[in-house]
Amino acid sequence: MSTEFKLLKRVLSRYSTPMTLNYPSSVVPERKYSQIPSGLRGVPERDRDKCIGCRACYFACSGRATEVIDEGNKRVIDIFLFRCTFCAHCQEACPEEAIKLTERFEVAFPRDEPGAHVSTELDLLTCERCGRPYATKRMLERTYERLMEKIDPLVKETVSNDYRKLIGYCPDCRRANSVALDTHTKKYVWLEGV
Amino acid sequence: MKFATDPKLLEFVKEICPDGLEYRQLHENRVAVRVRVEDLEGLADLFIKFGARLIHATAIDLEMKGFEILHIYDFSKVRERLVIILEAHTERPEVPSIGKVTWQARWAEREMKELLGIEFVGMPDERHQFLPYEWPEPVEGGAQKGSEFIPMNMPITEAYQTLIPIGPYHPGVIEGQTVYVKVEGEDVVAADIKTGFHHRGIMKLIERRGYGRGVFAAEKICGICSGAHGLAYVTCVENLYESEVPDRALYIRTLLAELNRMQSHLLWIGVVADVIGWKTGFMLTWGLRERVMDIIEAITGNRVNYGVWRVGGVSRDVPQELAERARRAVEGLKEECSELLALVADHPVVKSRLIGVGKLSYEQAFDGGAVGPVARGSNWKMDVRADNPPHAIYDPKLISWEVVTDNGCDSYARTIVRVKELLVSAGIVSQCLEHLSKTTGEIRAKPRSIPVGAEAVGLNEAPRGELAYYIRASDRDENLPQGIRIRTPSYRNNAVLPLMLVGCNLADVPVIMGSIDQCLACTDRVEVIGENYRRSMGWEELVAMSRRASRW
Amino acid sequence: MVNEFILLLSMLVVVFVGLFLGVIYSFLLRKISARLQWRVGPLMSVYSDLRPLLGTTRVLQPLYDVMKLFGKETIVPEVSRRRLFLYSPYISLTFAVLAVLFIPFPGAPLLSSTPYSLILASYLLIGAALFSVLGPVASGSPWAAVGVRREAELFLVSELGFVLSIFSVAIARGSLTIWEIANSPPRPILTAVAGALMLAAMLGKLHIKPFDMPEAEAEIVAGPYTEYSGRLLGTYYLARIFILYGLMALFVSLLLPPLSTSIIWLPAYLVSTLVLVFLLALIQVLNPRYRIGNALIWYVKILIPLSILNIVVLVV
Repeated sequence: MSTEFKLLKRVLSRYSTPMTLNYPSSVVPERKYSQIPSGLRGVPERDRDKCIGCRACYFACSGRATEVIDEGNKRVIDIFLFRCTFCAHCQEACPEEAIKLTERFEVAFPRDEPGAHVSTELDLLTCERCGRPYATKRMLERTYERLMEKIDPLVKETVSNDYRKLIGYCPDCRRANSVALDTHTKKYVWLEGV
Repeated sequence: MKFATDPKLLEFVKEICPDGLEYRQLHENRVAVRVRVEDLEGLADLFIKFGARLIHATAIDLEMKGFEILHIYDFSKVRERLVIILEAHTERPEVPSIGKVTWQARWAEREMKELLGIEFVGMPDERHQFLPYEWPEPVEGGAQKGSEFIPMNMPITEAYQTLIPIGPYHPGVIEGQTVYVKVEGEDVVAADIKTGFHHRGIMKLIERRGYGRGVFAAEKICGICSGAHGLAYVTCVENLYESEVPDRALYIRTLLAELNRMQSHLLWIGVVADVIGWKTGFMLTWGLRERVMDIIEAITGNRVNYGVWRVGGVSRDVPQELAERARRAVEGLKEECSELLALVADHPVVKSRLIGVGKLSYEQAFDGGAVGPVARGSNWKMDVRADNPPHAIYDPKLISWEVVTDNGCDSYARTIVRVKELLVSAGIVSQCLEHLSKTTGEIRAKPRSIPVGAEAVGLNEAPRGELAYYIRASDRDENLPQGIRIRTPSYRNNAVLPLMLVGCNLADVPVIMGSIDQCLACTDRVEVIGENYRRSMGWEELVAMSRRASRW
Repeated sequence: MVNEFILLLSMLVVVFVGLFLGVIYSFLLRKISARLQWRVGPLMSVYSDLRPLLGTTRVLQPLYDVMKLFGKETIVPEVSRRRLFLYSPYISLTFAVLAVLFIPFPGAPLLSSTPYSLILASYLLIGAALFSVLGPVASGSPWAAVGVRREAELFLVSELGFVLSIFSVAIARGSLTIWEIANSPPRPILTAVAGALMLAAMLGKLHIKPFDMPEAEAEIVAGPYTEYSGRLLGTYYLARIFILYGLMALFVSLLLPPLSTSIIWLPAYLVSTLVLVFLLALIQVLNPRYRIGNALIWYVKILIPLSILNIVVLVV
């Protein structure tokens, strides 16, 4: 019997303050919310200025939610939110820290609505010789920046010139024109310590 | 921390098992022994008499080279942390069955027969494991020869016996399963369980996704024990190469595994209260569980699928002030839990519903291969964290904890075991949080490449029992495994269920089903019948298809 | 002529008032249980932002549930005995409404001054419960079979306890007419003892835990009501609402004498029934469900001997 009385005291203790929390929503601002802890893994967002279109997020995606569509001279990297599992693997894989998981968690949309996709569109560079797109402009620019930061000062100028000359050609055309474009690495041989 | 391997192990194994063709030492006290197919039965007999326990009996499809039958035995009671893997290579899919030797292999062999088409000669129970019993055509009587279970189309011989199907849709069971009970009045005379409604193909999914992305698929096998699957998977992959994981990562892993256990046991107590009709107990314990989920959400970013397990460490650190706040929350929670659960366990009506219900003696638990709190409630001191720990900190010198057993052998004993385990886990959590709030360090080590043909076994103590993963690395591709086999604890506990159901009252059936803490999402793991559902396939076609699909 | 007209009018009014009060008691059982379980329960005053959707209050929620059921499809199983299956809910409802007419409401004595109205009222209540068992018997489902078996066993013992406590009051007052008992002077000790026994017996009739094993969801889906749907289930729920009101009213008339006689006692009548509902909710929240064997043992070993003792003491 004493168990029942202690239980009675316990259930009566919160009679007027139920444990039910209100839904944390931006839709109904006048009601009191419950708290979302910081660091919640929600919908990913890609910073368009930082993304270089390297497709690391596409290869890292564990739920096959990210798709890469190359059309004409545009590359679109699209995350379909209905398949995203918010695992943050793309956040770890991105070399430019362009993709970050926000704290947004409300992802109920009709299937075709644009809100159900997180898309980034990038320009692809087309080859001057064959006309096929082969890499995004941003990726080539960023590779150049990274290269210039860490390269040995002895070869810096040569590499920089080469880069600007060769960047307009896709790898197949560079190979086809290697004599005319002077892509041979023997020009680095005479440098000491290289 | 480096996970050490005992160098003298091979001689010991050669003594116990002298007819092996080849002995290979794997990382962390696992030994693989290649044997002939005909020796498997004799060795099973020998090992069981020696005191070993069968973890899983499975097979890997080596495409052109045939099949490799694997029997994994746990020798941790004989020699510290030893696990022996018997491999028998065969080109013909006819293999002697060890179902007669040990009860524990029954479901495993039925599963291998269905998934890979291997014929086990002399199998005591030949029914389908995951497919419906009537597949491919209605079977006369339902049972095959020699089985002592009830067939599905049971003739009701006496007028006062009723066959009651509990499931697949039933308010008393949480997930889809069918338990057939034959009742006379209110007493259960015979019982049988049929699973297979949740099969999703996760073992195949992980084989396609590779080691790095596979951890996310492994996490999603089960919602309640998601953390346990993540930890077992990373333990298994780290055993494929010689791994060294930073200490802080190990503390975070222990922390998350024990928080997972706390919320799973609180959920379970609520479910048992609901099943005996006490909705108040359900609401009160789930209210406390919400506080645990808030702590988990603050640490990992998600309540259910933690997503921080990585091969070589964890991906998300716990800042020191968060660890301190969480530690204070857990201490308060531990007091409230112990008060509330003392009231729940002492309630006279609860006691009358749970005491003496669902008896499972020590011998039945040992032979049938029960694991986890079901085994510990029958006075069998078996805990993977003490015998064969995963890659996390469970050393009693670093974190003080204890294995809880109870000798009641009924549902009430299992309840007491889980309640006490919950409080022990709360203690482990506060100790880990205290350590994390006072130190800093790295949380991730770079994984090394996985050698050709490596294999590993990873064990973990999920809230429901012992969880075993077996991964065989491919000899062609560094990123994808050749095969992965998962044996979940509910697999074993559900196989023992019919033994517990006979002789009880009908009102006790959901209580017993609840007391073994069924997690059917863990029990079933696959089957897509075909993309075009209107076409029906025969048995031979299905077997051929599964053999083809396992090849590349 | 005028008297009969007033009587008919008051019967009609009291049936509706009884329905309304039964719905309120049902709502209060749910609301108080919810609050004791630390949750919110059905809303007495709806949040301001949800008002366009839900209205200002959901106090009549049980009635809305019944109305929803009336709008749904009624499925009759092929293996059932069709006529018994279809007519039982309506017969049960009729019995329940007729029982209500024999119990006085403050300001309206209705038919309670008929001689032997106590026997008639309890007989009609038993009849309502009986037809809520016969219909499920006809439905042909194994769940219903188990549920009906449990209901029949529970019925046996709880009705016995109920009838014994009613008759102890009748013996103490020396009358079998409800109106006379309702007008007699109050006797506190009788109220306390017979009231406790009658409350314990009512737990079985109203399926309050720990005695709701006929409707155990976890074990036998919905028990007797498994195969019922649509209008028929709605009728059963309506009958249960009337039975709830009837039992509360009967309790007050028999054990709290002056409260159900004239209209000046109406506030006290309402307060006493609310206290009773609170007690029932408290007992429901604090206990899990017994097995049928344990329930029988509890009734036979504890309640029935005490009731018999009560009668013996009163006779002597």
